[in-house]
Amino acid sequence: MSLFSALSVSASGMAAERTRAELLTENLANAETTRTPAGGPYRRKDAVFVSTPVSSEFSSVFTSQFETQQQGVIVGEVTVDSRDPEMRYLPGHPDANAAGYVAFPRVNPAEDMVDLMSTSRNYQANVAAISTVKNMIQRSLDILR
Amino acid sequence: MLDPLATNLERYMDLLSARQKLVVSNIANADTPGYRTRDIDFQTELRTAIDPTHPLVSEVAGLKTKNDGNNVSIDRESRLLAENDIRFSIASNLMRSRLKTLRMSIEEGRSG
Repeated sequence: MSLFSALSVSASGMAAERTRAELLTENLANAETTRTPAGGPYRRKDAVFVSTPVSSEFSSVFTSQFETQQQGVIVGEVTVDSRDPEMRYLPGHPDANAAGYVAFPRVNPAEDMVDLMSTSRNYQANVAAISTVKNMIQRSLDILR
Repeated sequence: MLDPLATNLERYMDLLSARQKLVVSNIANADTPGYRTRDIDFQTELRTAIDPTHPLVSEVAGLKTKNDGNNVSIDRESRLLAENDIRFSIASNLMRSRLKTLRMSIEEGRSG
């Protein structure tokens, strides 16, 4: 029975939340981007999390059925918003179409900010979990001191 | 290993670790669509004599489900995280003093 796999679970949570935070900040930075290498305006991205069994290097050596209880998390896929871009009438703009409309990304900064805050809180929760589990491991070692 | 008290403490700490692992999984999956909060019935597990490293894991009832089917409450998990930590601390301190007593009697016997 080892608590070390709990550390891997929290670490997977931190990695996933960090990926989401990166995508959200990318969305915010590109809220007004009308030109991308792929053509057209920027499209909003988001991460979809999938829970996955986690096993540390040690636990794979030890026989442990209870690893099935341990559900880590990975970024399953990055979704790209497929909604039509927002058309704004800006005739002087270099990316305007024949009718004078420019395609802008459908990014709602408020939505992304709220998601970013929740991501940050979840990241903190994972950090707190790591430090608590670390304390527990340390205390088990102190029993023999 | 040593006496009934130490064995019970060991069981208690094993169960606390098992629960802490579930809490940590729940926190890591706080944003996973469709994930359901999992926990063990601590009191029941403690009373039954089965192996504490393989407790019965069940879904937690009565939690609010979000739009994506996820029902992890970070507040609940934070509370459990702290609670398990404190309980574990108490148990490990008791275990430590138990071993200290044993060691002391060995060492006193040697010097005398």
